[in-house]
Amino acid sequence: MSPDRSTLLLADDDPTIADSLAPFLERAGFHVLVVSDGVNALEKAQSHHPELIILDVLMPRMDGRETLRRLRKAKIWTPTILLTQVGEASERALALEEGADDYLNKPFDPHELLARIRAVLRRVRPGERSLSAAWLLTADDLSLDRRARRATLGGETVELTPKALAVLEYLMTHPDEAVTRERLLEAVWGWEYPAGTRTVDTRMAELRRALDDDPADPRFIETIPGEGYRFIASVHGEG
Amino acid sequence: MLKKSWINLLLIFLPLVAGVVELILINIFAQALPPFMMTADFGVFAFVFGMTIRNLGIVAFMMGLFITGLLLIFYNRALRRQAETHTLVEGAKLEAEQGRRRFLRRLDHEIKNPLTGLRAALVNMQEVQTGADRQRAVDNASHAVERLTSLLTDLRKLSDLGERPIELWQVDVPDLLQDVVDAAHVLPAYKGREVNLLIPKVPSPFPMITGDRDLLVLAVYNLVENALKFTCETDSVEIRVNEDGRAILIEVADSGVGIPAEDVSKIFEELYRGSNARSTEGSGLGLALVYRIIALHDGQITVRSSQEEPRGTVFTIRLPVNKKKVMLRPSS
Repeated sequence: MSPDRSTLLLADDDPTIADSLAPFLERAGFHVLVVSDGVNALEKAQSHHPELIILDVLMPRMDGRETLRRLRKAKIWTPTILLTQVGEASERALALEEGADDYLNKPFDPHELLARIRAVLRRVRPGERSLSAAWLLTADDLSLDRRARRATLGGETVELTPKALAVLEYLMTHPDEAVTRERLLEAVWGWEYPAGTRTVDTRMAELRRALDDDPADPRFIETIPGEGYRFIASVHGEG
Repeated sequence: MLKKSWINLLLIFLPLVAGVVELILINIFAQALPPFMMTADFGVFAFVFGMTIRNLGIVAFMMGLFITGLLLIFYNRALRRQAETHTLVEGAKLEAEQGRRRFLRRLDHEIKNPLTGLRAALVNMQEVQTGADRQRAVDNASHAVERLTSLLTDLRKLSDLGERPIELWQVDVPDLLQDVVDAAHVLPAYKGREVNLLIPKVPSPFPMITGDRDLLVLAVYNLVENALKFTCETDSVEIRVNEDGRAILIEVADSGVGIPAEDVSKIFEELYRGSNARSTEGSGLGLALVYRIIALHDGQITVRSSQEEPRGTVFTIRLPVNKKKVMLRPSS
């Protein structure tokens, strides 16, 4: 193992998944530790200090959610990707409560997992609590109370549909990251839509109108032609 | 006199009180006991009193019989109602069980095919020599995986629809239909073809409906996708919208081969494949999803189809105009 290789901890009880993903991630340049349950994941996370943890939700002995909850309780802020279904709003709120940095729906393309890992590693500062675990997010005069599901701009409540609010939430927890329309669809809508990219664009237009954000000269959301969107304002998390 | 009228009252109400007490006891301890037991008891009860106090005894006897008869009728009616409810529940249970088995049988079939393809592709990957053959095996495996993924995605959509609340906002239907047509451009079956979208100019603005825009897009898109998939290049596909003051009617029509009469009533079932749809790729859940989405919006969907000239299929969606209390979409 060369010293500059990031160490990943992969916890999944299905050997066909772990055995196929581990070599794939190794080839991509990571050092991969594999465990098959939550208890082992917790131990390895504390003893080996991986740079990132990938947790499956349904695992024997201790499930992924509980593992993550205990990690965060122990103030271990290692960035974590939860392999879960996040279609439902309650599920998403749960993932947030546990402090997952990102989540991915099974079945996923391994390349998508790799893209998520790289994006999270780029975004998260080691040892620091990430924005994904914060209940209140602020960027300039825009603030988002994730628990109350309410956004304010300059102290005034911003009227938003639940979907547009969820889009804003995803963008604010992933600042400075190019987020593709497909990614937003998966994270916010939970499943792909046929008119998917257009659906995202419609909500984005709504969001920009509500935030009074000019696409030509954006304060908050920038369009990356042919790619997606990026939240450009600096975001702070509290609570 | 006073004494006598007290006895009168007592004689009239005693059988009633006794009857009620007995009914309660029977219900608690011996539900299966036939109610004629009660009749006999009342008869004896009233007769004994009749013998004791001559004239008033007749009145008490008649009253006792009358009240017993009434109780008997009520009791029988209750029993019958109970039996009917039981039959209904049993019927629904049986139907649900049959539906579940049918669904599992169809699911088994839908999984079997891509899985067989995948296994064959894996064997080919191990055994073939040339790079081109290997690439073909990899392509086939990917294709099988895509089919399984799309089936799983649609299954999840169906289950999600039952669990998550739908958004209720004002939806501009003509605008939504335009989005569907634009989105359909990516479909391979759309290549070299046109989808006609007919939107009336009057009334203006077109009445809004209340609902989940994304789900409604999905529903209409599925119908358009089907229409394109089951027709050829020379056929026409048309989306029409109209209103009758109470509802908005969206029609997706095509001039294709039509749906066989025996399939028409089943096409909205989960994983049902009509006889002319077996060779066409799809999850078999598209129309079931459409049905579920329209039902969630308190709407109806119907289909009429003909395989003889003038042939074609028309799906009609009826959605109530702003029936529910709405949250207004933030103004633009």
